[in-house]
Amino acid sequence: MPTVGPRSGDAIFANVERVNAELFTLTYGAIVRQLLTDLEDVEEVNKQLDQMGYNIGTRLIDEFLAKANISRCVDFKETAEMIAKVGFKMFLGVTASVTNWDIEGTCCNMVLEENPLVDFVELPDTCQGLYYCNVLCGVIRGALEMVSMKTEVTWVRDVLRGDDSYELQVKLLKQVPQEYPYKDDE
Amino acid sequence: MIVCIAVVGHQNNPLYIQSFTEADDALKLHHIVHCSLDVVDERVNNPKKSGPLLNETFLGLLYPTENYKVYGYLTNTKVKFILVTTDLDVKDADVRNFFRRFHAAYVDAVSNPFHVPGKKITSRTFAERVSTIVKAFGLSSAG
Repeated sequence: MPTVGPRSGDAIFANVERVNAELFTLTYGAIVRQLLTDLEDVEEVNKQLDQMGYNIGTRLIDEFLAKANISRCVDFKETAEMIAKVGFKMFLGVTASVTNWDIEGTCCNMVLEENPLVDFVELPDTCQGLYYCNVLCGVIRGALEMVSMKTEVTWVRDVLRGDDSYELQVKLLKQVPQEYPYKDDE
Repeated sequence: MIVCIAVVGHQNNPLYIQSFTEADDALKLHHIVHCSLDVVDERVNNPKKSGPLLNETFLGLLYPTENYKVYGYLTNTKVKFILVTTDLDVKDADVRNFFRRFHAAYVDAVSNPFHVPGKKITSRTFAERVSTIVKAFGLSSAG
């Protein structure tokens, strides 16, 4: 195994500052409620949540890399494991498991056993198309884009919509090498 | 056994009413709950001078009528829980325990961001939890 890094985010999670889980859950619930009131269209709200997550992810990746002290990931498989074991643990306090790799190793599913965002939440009948935790998709997409990977993250299973667990699909679209804004001959 | 439980808001608006018998006398149960609200208001406005410690939450037996007993519980936000039971030998501790669990279920239902305070509680999880608590109450007092 080439990487020497933390096998899980427990140690880091123990050292970061924490916030009350109910405050976090209720705040997120209030955000979703307000978006629904302002935008009124469920698809628009899904897009907004993803965009918010993207903005969070682009900033979160720096904190993650600074605190997690891990070395460079060799391939996408390692990246996914890092996100599931270290990333989720550090920021949400839960671990995810990575399953369902495809043959090329560019697409996998992450299953979350618990999800603190959705405590107490029940979707009303008027909002059945809503992906309540769409912000998580945006966070992963934004964070990976900052480390040169263009990905597509979608929800496969969602407990609030009747399934039995939370499952995300992370698909690597392409690796974008760093582009420098200046020409070589200057 | 418990025949009916009700959650009434601070403006005496009904938030949740569930009866656990055949629906024939549902109207009568609603009427009993409605009448008991007056007793609650009376207890709240004229606190008994006896007893230095005024535990305001559990109101106790509100009034016995025909073959029913009505118990009341008041939360700090003036939300009232009314319990109607046909049991004749119900222990005080059992009822307190019931209301404590019922209060916990109510708090979880109200924490749902999609719940509008003041509107009826439409949560299916809440309904299921309440049925479980009612069944547990029936078993504990029968045994």
